[in-house]
Amino acid sequence: MGSFKGKVAVVGIGEVPTGKFPERPCLQNALEACREAILDSGIEKNEIDTIMPTGTFFDRRYNTDMIFSKLVEELGLLNIAKNNFQVFAGGSSSSTMLKTACGLINSGLAKVVLCVQSDKTGSAPVQEMIDLFATFGIPDEWETPYGFFMAGTGSLFATRYMHETGTKPEHLASVVVSMRKWAALNPNAMLRRELTIEEVLNSKMVATPFTTKEGNVLADGAAAFIVASTGRARDLPNPPIYPLGFGSRVCHYAISQDMDLTRLGFYEASQEAYEMAGVGPEDIDIAELYDGYPIFPLITLEGLRICNRGEAGAFVYEGNTWPGGKLPMTTNGGMLGQGHTAAGGGVAILVEAVRQLMGKAGERQVKDATIAVESSLGGTFMDSHIVIMGRELP
Amino acid sequence: MKGYKKPLPKPTPWSKPFWDGCKNKKLLIQRCKDCGKHIFYPKLFCPFCLSNNLSWIEATGKGKIYTYTVVYSYQPTEFSEDVPYIIAVINLDEGIKMMSNIVDCKPEQVKCDMEVEVVFEEVADEVTLPKFKPVS
Repeated sequence: MGSFKGKVAVVGIGEVPTGKFPERPCLQNALEACREAILDSGIEKNEIDTIMPTGTFFDRRYNTDMIFSKLVEELGLLNIAKNNFQVFAGGSSSSTMLKTACGLINSGLAKVVLCVQSDKTGSAPVQEMIDLFATFGIPDEWETPYGFFMAGTGSLFATRYMHETGTKPEHLASVVVSMRKWAALNPNAMLRRELTIEEVLNSKMVATPFTTKEGNVLADGAAAFIVASTGRARDLPNPPIYPLGFGSRVCHYAISQDMDLTRLGFYEASQEAYEMAGVGPEDIDIAELYDGYPIFPLITLEGLRICNRGEAGAFVYEGNTWPGGKLPMTTNGGMLGQGHTAAGGGVAILVEAVRQLMGKAGERQVKDATIAVESSLGGTFMDSHIVIMGRELP
Repeated sequence: MKGYKKPLPKPTPWSKPFWDGCKNKKLLIQRCKDCGKHIFYPKLFCPFCLSNNLSWIEATGKGKIYTYTVVYSYQPTEFSEDVPYIIAVINLDEGIKMMSNIVDCKPEQVKCDMEVEVVFEEVADEVTLPKFKPVS
């Protein structure tokens, strides 16, 4: 356990703006993100021996092309690349791809891994996407017949969490306020207008307790990152960003079967990741937490022991996670601010953690950020992933 | 019932007894004859001990609401006429969890831990859905 620590690093990142761009094919976004990541890393592209595209929901043809090595050809890596395969876990593909890349590099089975995601859920008709997402991790025999759907998922966690902890709607709404404040500073974000708690609470109710402003806005987007050995990373222009600890738990396929919707697997996942990394909650400079709905950053803050149980809502409400706050959180604006690009929502958050640690986050750069935590969840928030990354080895 | 346009469950060979039970207004769940655990939703074998030796028992149909949401908008197309409707996860007295709708209950009355009991709604010739209503 932890033997990869200090031996593997993220060396480059690329991202295209998130938004609605019907005229831009999935492939174009993916290629531009890959090219940017390669140029950012300073690595010679022929050193890439493993291409790891994650899955795409909206464009089935593109997704199939990814599986069948289209990127290898586009990047001129024919007879050079050794592997092209998909690693896909929905929203947690971010952490899962990084974990897989770490293992491959640490074992010597790969030298340089290019991870990439692209999707176009923002260009499709909204109702079509609602109906499509209603099939993702929602059992057609046991939940669909009752009218359950993706936009109701976060609500089931939030209702129980509020019941058990006394957290109020304004606490949840304040998560959106925090996300939008960061998105306002992010040129790649789609929703850059700041919101007040009143605006969030007074927008149209979707599924109690959440309103439209507390739900995902589907978008097009793409992001990529490159992972290499620390030996190689030392000669590259960016400071190597080391994955220090991973922790995770898969808690359900069907939401109705989850044992504790108010905790998920974040308590165990955090403990594992802290132990592997050799750090604790007091060492975290930035928390790049997966949102999707406002409830998830709150549960994650508590699992990470950054907040006591039931106190994360007040922590965010008081402004601690805003720009300039005690613990900058989800500094790209998350899916509630940057926009939701299916599996890409998580990848964008991971890329942002690396960007911050590299010191390349522009106007929203958090000063002296050395340790970041990144979290992710896939499907109907089925799995809880924690990744701790650092600019230095603790 | 005629012209029911919403998605219907498609039973598997191992879940068919559950849906047959609903048609007969009985809420059947599996019980492992080896480890004794109750199982829902129906499984091919026991997820606790992998035994094939499963039986069906009739559940009391009583339980408490673990969590819920009242849906007002952005619902799946087929449920457009139903808003607002209540989706809940129910903790049954047998120690299993089930998703369903809460019926005969105003949206503002539904609460976590509220006691509910099963009612059967025949929605198509072959399909009866178990739903739950507050215990009066």
